[in-house]
Amino acid sequence: MTLRGKIPFLAGLAVALGAGWVGFPHAIYRSRPQPVDFSHKVHADKAGTKCEDCHSFREDGTFAGLPTVDKCAGCHAAPMGATVAEKNFIDQYVTPNREPRWAVYARQPTNVSFSHIAHVKRANLTCESCHGDTGSSSTLRPYQADRISGYSRDIWKVQTTQAGKPMAHGMKMADCVECHRRKGLEHSCLDCHK
Amino acid sequence: MKTTRREIMMFAGGSAVGVLFTPAPWRLITDTALWSENWPGIPVPARGEIRARYTNCSLCPAGCAVRARCVGDQPVALAGVAGHPLSHGALCPFGLAGHHLPYLPSRVKQGPVKEAAAAVADGIAKCGPAEYIVTLDLRPARTASWTYRRAMAAIKNGRYVTPSYDPPVAVDFAKARTPSSDRSAAVDLAKAPTHPSDAWMAADLTRARTPSSDAWMAVDLTRARTPSSDGSAAVHLAKAPTPSSNAWMAADLTKARTPSSDRSAAVDLAKAPAHSSDAWVAVDLARARTPSSDASVAVDLTKARTVLSLGVALLDGWGTPGNVIAARPGFRLIQAEAVESRTASMADWWLRIRPGSEDALAQGLAGTLTRAAAAEATGLAESEIAALAAELKDNGPVLVLGSSRLESTGRTIVTRRETPVPAEWRKAAPVTGLASLPDGSIRVLIIDESTPGAYLPWKAIEKKLVADNPVVVALAWSREGYGRHAQYVLPVGVYPEVAGDIPPAIDSVAATFRISTPLVAAPGGCVKPEEFIAGAAGLPLTDTLHERADAIHKTGRGTLFTYADAKSAALKDISAEDFWKALNAGGCWIDTPDDKAAVARLAPTVAQPRSSEESELPLAVVLSQELTPASPILSKLYQESNLRLGPNRVALPPSSGLEDGTQATLQTVLGKCAVQVTLDAGVPAGLVRVSASPAILDLCADGARAKVVRA
Amino acid sequence: MISANKQIRAARYGMTIDVDRCNGCGACMVACSIENNVPPAHEGATDRKGLTWIRVYKVDNGEEYPNRRTAFVPVMCQHCGHDTPCVHVCPQQAVDVDPATGVVGEMPQRCLGCRYCVAACPYHARYFNWWDPAWPAGMEKTLNPGVTPRMRGVVEKCNLCHGRWHAAKELAAAAGKPDTEPVDYVPACAEACPTGAIQFGDLNDHASLPAKAAAEPGSFRLLEKLGTEPKIYYRSKKDWVRGIAAAPRPGAAGKETVRG
Repeated sequence: MTLRGKIPFLAGLAVALGAGWVGFPHAIYRSRPQPVDFSHKVHADKAGTKCEDCHSFREDGTFAGLPTVDKCAGCHAAPMGATVAEKNFIDQYVTPNREPRWAVYARQPTNVSFSHIAHVKRANLTCESCHGDTGSSSTLRPYQADRISGYSRDIWKVQTTQAGKPMAHGMKMADCVECHRRKGLEHSCLDCHK
Repeated sequence: MKTTRREIMMFAGGSAVGVLFTPAPWRLITDTALWSENWPGIPVPARGEIRARYTNCSLCPAGCAVRARCVGDQPVALAGVAGHPLSHGALCPFGLAGHHLPYLPSRVKQGPVKEAAAAVADGIAKCGPAEYIVTLDLRPARTASWTYRRAMAAIKNGRYVTPSYDPPVAVDFAKARTPSSDRSAAVDLAKAPTHPSDAWMAADLTRARTPSSDAWMAVDLTRARTPSSDGSAAVHLAKAPTPSSNAWMAADLTKARTPSSDRSAAVDLAKAPAHSSDAWVAVDLARARTPSSDASVAVDLTKARTVLSLGVALLDGWGTPGNVIAARPGFRLIQAEAVESRTASMADWWLRIRPGSEDALAQGLAGTLTRAAAAEATGLAESEIAALAAELKDNGPVLVLGSSRLESTGRTIVTRRETPVPAEWRKAAPVTGLASLPDGSIRVLIIDESTPGAYLPWKAIEKKLVADNPVVVALAWSREGYGRHAQYVLPVGVYPEVAGDIPPAIDSVAATFRISTPLVAAPGGCVKPEEFIAGAAGLPLTDTLHERADAIHKTGRGTLFTYADAKSAALKDISAEDFWKALNAGGCWIDTPDDKAAVARLAPTVAQPRSSEESELPLAVVLSQELTPASPILSKLYQESNLRLGPNRVALPPSSGLEDGTQATLQTVLGKCAVQVTLDAGVPAGLVRVSASPAILDLCADGARAKVVRA
Repeated sequence: MISANKQIRAARYGMTIDVDRCNGCGACMVACSIENNVPPAHEGATDRKGLTWIRVYKVDNGEEYPNRRTAFVPVMCQHCGHDTPCVHVCPQQAVDVDPATGVVGEMPQRCLGCRYCVAACPYHARYFNWWDPAWPAGMEKTLNPGVTPRMRGVVEKCNLCHGRWHAAKELAAAAGKPDTEPVDYVPACAEACPTGAIQFGDLNDHASLPAKAAAEPGSFRLLEKLGTEPKIYYRSKKDWVRGIAAAPRPGAAGKETVRG
């Protein structure tokens, strides 16, 4: 092939690679900020809270997930600091007793049955091993979801945290299976699906 | 330089190759697959904390205990409460889906409440001297029923009406126990001397009926026992009080025994042993409950060794199903029924009788009808009837169940104290039947259709309304019942939105009190029937359930069973406040059984056999009833399988010529109704089994003649 | 596929059903539908196109009154243990037999809706979603979060209430029990049955009712001669019921008829 033939080909190649690697991720995800500008770091440092203080297990072993506004109101009935974010939170959510519409980064599809307690108590996994350094972040990054499937971007890989280190793996089925296979814990589809 | 086609193609080729090395196509494939699986419109279940809440099911008089599994506060599944002394943890298909009822599509949510109240007030003001303001209560004996009675008492010409039963067709089984079968053993009461010394034992109580009124003269044979050594019993008819038309006194035949057997005219109840356990008694269920006494009757299945059911669906929703199931191994069940119902297929002996011949069978057994006549009426062989009679004689204690009456030996029928009420409530209107009101006399009729109960055909009600502008208000959850006929349909809450109590079931030997605690809130437009009716009467309404609980607590009797911990405690050890809290959190009060009181028993009579309708219509109707309201999930039993006969469906024998699933029309002399056909080999030729709905009950009763034609 | 290096005590969950106790009330069918988010029937649904993961059939001995006898037989997925037919035929490998519990698990999300398994199942225990699930307005609030609703075009069937198994496992983990033990739970049908006709348990646990029933000579399974080794054991004192259970199709053993 002559050089003349190669140029359009290489140009096409370059354009496609550029669009695919840069443009496509930008286009495929929609983004929305979290309703409250919450800082994990402040609560960890100043209030001395650990993950399980707010993200707790109930007696029957189920995971309570995100705390409801009455948990926050336990301390924040009145402003405890001077930030605008806290004031907005109290005005919009605590006082009218309204739940913030949090976007859950790690939300799995409805057909997945994931047991937090099995992984925390039996496998002794730390929160960070799947959720990354969220606990030391001082803001909540925007929630990004795939426009077509609706799944959170974190399923593929937890995005960079404040500390700047992306997680090594995500929360796709293949990621779970890889660890389960290593530990000899895969028996049947319905172990993890419902 | 001009761009050639070749260059464009090379560019495209390069892009195509390049794209394959980017995530784009692979992600789009995955996304498309995911998108195709997450179809819009597939609901996602709500997430939240799983909690247990407790209540009692108010869909039928069984009032089974319910444990609701809730996500947050929303019930998502219901189950029974294991270890419950009455329901034994059982819950029927309707109760299991009770949490769906608030979302029934056919629900009425809005209604002309103000207009209805104004019309009722207007009607009350205009009510003439021979006219009545009537509340028709389809499920009587609730706490709300007492409020209606008090409200009607507060209105001039107010009447409280419940669905009345057919006149008692009791059988004198006492006559069946004569030593020789040719001795009728009936005694002409008119000949009974007034003086007790002549050792007469009078027992022809049919003659005791005074023709001038509907009132029964009852015989208090307890007074008839003389202490004289020959133990003869006599009747002081003159001294027998004549009851008013509402109060019944029954004859306690157990006490009427005479020891001497050569008194030819005596009913030889001497053969009835001293213990009342072998004496036959007849009880008219409807009439045995007297407003003036605290007693009603209940059936103790645990005491029966043989049960003869005359068409009663004993194993399919009668009484408290959990209790029936628990008692079932203890008795032999003989089911006399025209079709092979679920009870007939589970019974130890199924007697396939002609529809409507239950009374003939009972009388054939008792000897008041010859065996031949009974055999002809029922279609059974005389030998079968003889075998049945022998079995009833030898395998007691026996319980005979008919739809409106019971007969028994032994302590299978017992008296039950009424659940206590506050004393002030007793100033209430008496319970009357619709038949006791003259035609064309009801000016205002309020029908409480809020809890499932009996449905009286509209024609029976319509003729009692005044001719000019009667006011009819139906308090109902749907328009399919009396809503089709009433002027005003006011929406009410359904189970489990409504707080109310469930009266004790027929097989509950002790009085009970259980509250159906609301699990979800009723829609905003709903009316509380108690408030509406009390408001119409100007009766100030208080927390009647709480007052009743307090009245019960004052008696100090009985036990409280709490559902959360499945424990029983004596009522006297609990404070009134804790009692009220426990009842609302899921609990049940059970009285101590009333061992001492004598059962109020009805004087038996010889029935007139029902004459069959003359008709050209080829089929006889046998009704079956499913509980309503029912969740759409019951389609599993009605539509997606043939297990149960859903409302507005008919079952025909396979020989009928119609196919399964055909849309058809049921025709009776009173009209037509659209139905769907199911084929069932358990239905004999010449019969059609019809699953009742209000529309069908307006057209036919049990035994009506009908025709089913393809639509 | 249990990896060799993991020691678990495998369970074989099964049931024993006393046909003589079943009174045909249908409580099991309703409880199953509620637990598993099975929608109410579409308008066009009949008994051939409905979704009844458990279905109670009324069987009779084919005789006329007074020799006519009937019985009610609840049938759900029999969880075949040997040569499981539906597992063999699935082109998507959307069904598998769990070696840890013996449950034949269907993955509706993987199913492509060819219905080969519906044809292969000798017990007619598999159901195809002909329509999208639809609940009356507001009734979606009553859905069970432990089970995911399926879309149209996929096959679904009884999985011995695996949602309850998951919940029981979480409870066991919370109580600190080891992962290697089978968990104790009750499926919705067994819990709802008012007569106690359906009893659930671990066939590998000799003390459980199904294990005891399986050992009794009077117990029988449906279509045993096919060799599928189902885990649902039935009991009845009536010989003609055993005859129906052994027959390859209704009426083949004699005059018996089956209608559901």
